Amino acid sequence: MVDWGIPIGVGIAFGLGALGTGYAQSKIGSAGAGTIAERPETFGLMVVLVAIPETMVILGFVVAAMMMIMLV
Amino acid sequence: MVVRVEYDYVNARIKGMKSRLLAPPVFESLILKPDVESIIAELENTSYKEEIERATVQYSGMKCIEVALRNDFTNAFRKILGFMKGGDSEKYINILLSRWDIQNIKTILRGKNIHMTSAEIVECLVPAGQLDNTTLIELIRQPDVKAVIDLLATWGIEYAKPLTRNFKEYSEKRDLSILEYAIDKFYYENALEKSGEDSYDDRIILDMITTEIDVTNIKNVLKMIRDKIGIEEAEPFLIKGGITLDIEKLLSMLRSGTLEGAIKVLDATPYKFLSELPADVFKTEKISVFEKELEKYLIKRGIRRFLGDPLSIAVAVGYVWAKYNEITNIRIIARCKTADITEKEIREELIYV
Repeated sequence: MVDWGIPIGVGIAFGLGALGTGYAQSKIGSAGAGTIAERPETFGLMVVLVAIPETMVILGFVVAAMMMIMLV
Repeated sequence: MVVRVEYDYVNARIKGMKSRLLAPPVFESLILKPDVESIIAELENTSYKEEIERATVQYSGMKCIEVALRNDFTNAFRKILGFMKGGDSEKYINILLSRWDIQNIKTILRGKNIHMTSAEIVECLVPAGQLDNTTLIELIRQPDVKAVIDLLATWGIEYAKPLTRNFKEYSEKRDLSILEYAIDKFYYENALEKSGEDSYDDRIILDMITTEIDVTNIKNVLKMIRDKIGIEEAEPFLIKGGITLDIEKLLSMLRSGTLEGAIKVLDATPYKFLSELPADVFKTEKISVFEKELEKYLIKRGIRRFLGDPLSIAVAVGYVWAKYNEITNIRIIARCKTADITEKEIREELIYV
């Protein structure tokens, strides 16, 4: 019988991380666009700030990958 | 179509604009300047550079500063209105900016009432509301108060309604305060009706309007006490809807008959600070001092909105008041320089928030 537990867990770990990242980046991105429009010198800082939520989806990916490699 | 405004973008832009407001050290350096020309030179190193350069082409001295400040003020508000155009928060910013429409119409009516020249009236206008510069100039071109009201009515501008309704009484008594009160009352009633009280944004706007109603009522009551106007005559001039002071409390201020008595009624309210003014202000019945303190209170309350929810109309409200405060302070410094007022006195006149 197929064990669906691990694929579902992997999906949750990666999917929720991606959703969280998407939401955070949409908010930070629009605020960052507003800030750059008024103060173009903040461009570099805004790129870094928009990239920070990527850590969530990367962590999700790492957890998902570890589950696939170590549990399957 | 109404679109939900993304406050994250709009408020980031407004905060960016806020970061360009002048810091206290800049005000200090403006105060230390010897004359108006050096103030203009100093302003060229700030965010006013563009407008100052544009104004210096046509004007010099105080007139240059006035024109530059007015244009900067108007542009800042038109920019905010542009961010919010078509969004559900447009109504809030319109309510806030209508304040300047009312002020402009009252200025034009006052000017026409005392037969000021068009150039003198233009100097006092702030075209930051929905009535743009062209509309206001066309109103100023009218020969008298009646023609101004008629033109407003012809254009279908809502402020014509209270003026038309009260024009007969004004023409009988020749008292402009009848028209001023009518348009003020119309503005506040309209603003209260439009703002609602369901959302956080509604409550922010409601708080500012009701505080303004309180401040306007206190100013009116103090003036009426000074001019010894009877309660029956004064009552129709009170505006309903204040945040702290209802009509009954305002009437008890009027009943007291003296400035000291009226201010005592305010003891248990946020306006208690008025009782701490020096005794000679009460003796000489200098209402302008009370008006200034109340204006300071209103500005401080408005600017404190910056501390509210960063994803709400609070940021825009805070900016509108902070910008108004900055323009007022620069104007005070420049005017004091033309009148040879000492630096210490200028510092006392400014509103630091």
